[in-house]
Amino acid sequence: MADVKPPRIRVGRKIKKDQVFKVKVRFEHPSFTGLGQADTETSPPFNRAIPVTYIRNMLVYYGDDLVNRFTMTSAIADNPLFTFKLKAVKEEPVKVVFFNNHGERWEVSQNIKFKG
Amino acid sequence: MKYKITQNWLALISCLLISSSSIAAASVEVFEIEGLISPASPKALTTQLVEKLDVKIVNLNLKDTDTGWPQLSIEFDSGALSRSDIENAISGIEDPAGHMYKVHQGPSLTRAPYNKEELDAMAKFGPAAPNLTDVSNPLGASDESVGRGLKLFKANCSTCHGLSGNGQGPGAHGIATFPRELWAWNNAPASTDAYLYWFITNGRNEMPPWGLILSENERWDVINYIKTIEKPE
Repeated sequence: MADVKPPRIRVGRKIKKDQVFKVKVRFEHPSFTGLGQADTETSPPFNRAIPVTYIRNMLVYYGDDLVNRFTMTSAIADNPLFTFKLKAVKEEPVKVVFFNNHGERWEVSQNIKFKG
Repeated sequence: MKYKITQNWLALISCLLISSSSIAAASVEVFEIEGLISPASPKALTTQLVEKLDVKIVNLNLKDTDTGWPQLSIEFDSGALSRSDIENAISGIEDPAGHMYKVHQGPSLTRAPYNKEELDAMAKFGPAAPNLTDVSNPLGASDESVGRGLKLFKANCSTCHGLSGNGQGPGAHGIATFPRELWAWNNAPASTDAYLYWFITNGRNEMPPWGLILSENERWDVINYIKTIEKPE
């Protein structure tokens, strides 16, 4: 399996209270459907070729609150970049947690501080 | 003369012994193979394996296997070769696509059980996808139902989807995602009913969840009408 690197998060620098801000999360994680096309005899021509690997769930916490869940399938791209919006209601960290289909877990967080 | 006959007999007996010992030591084992991704893969694997080791390929079953993994049956002399020798040899063979083959080990875990954190999130937001197999159209595609669906469609859906279902109704301007051209569902089979029902009920992108606005029967009427919309010439 290709290397997995810890996820990275980026939010805007100047966030004001009650402003809707954008969160970008990059996660370098491979994605395989696990299917190959070695079979030429029968239809459909797919066979199992490699173990299935993909990001299964992405949970977004704002402070202690779970605010969103993204559920993916093996159709997701390699190394995906997720972008979503949140409303700046409190000065607490945004934490994003990833799970892949093998049950492995990663997380990344960024503190939110209001400017101005 | 007698010596020659004895010599021939001895040669024959030794031949028989050698051949019988090789038959006794020959065994067939099955290897689950990872990395067979293209039509060129099976030939590359089997020819290179036969070149590397003194083995005979009995069969390569790509799909109809218990575990789903392709299974390579190999006959080899168990006195001269071990299973790990063959596994190592397979690991050293390169696929035409550039990766190495591998003998699959252990259970085929495609989806680990959800852990508590994921289950808590699912409990809060609900499952990602409904069980669509449990839903079927209770009304049937009668003319009355289609007529009711037409009225409901004009009143609720045509604003964005257009009267003809072309996805270009007046409400569609300014919407980031264009409404679907509904003739895509013309004469769709009954197996698509649950899918349509779920999307109409829950909404998607800018489409509101009509489950909050229309009754269940009204939504089925709309679905029955949608399936009659034809693409204009």
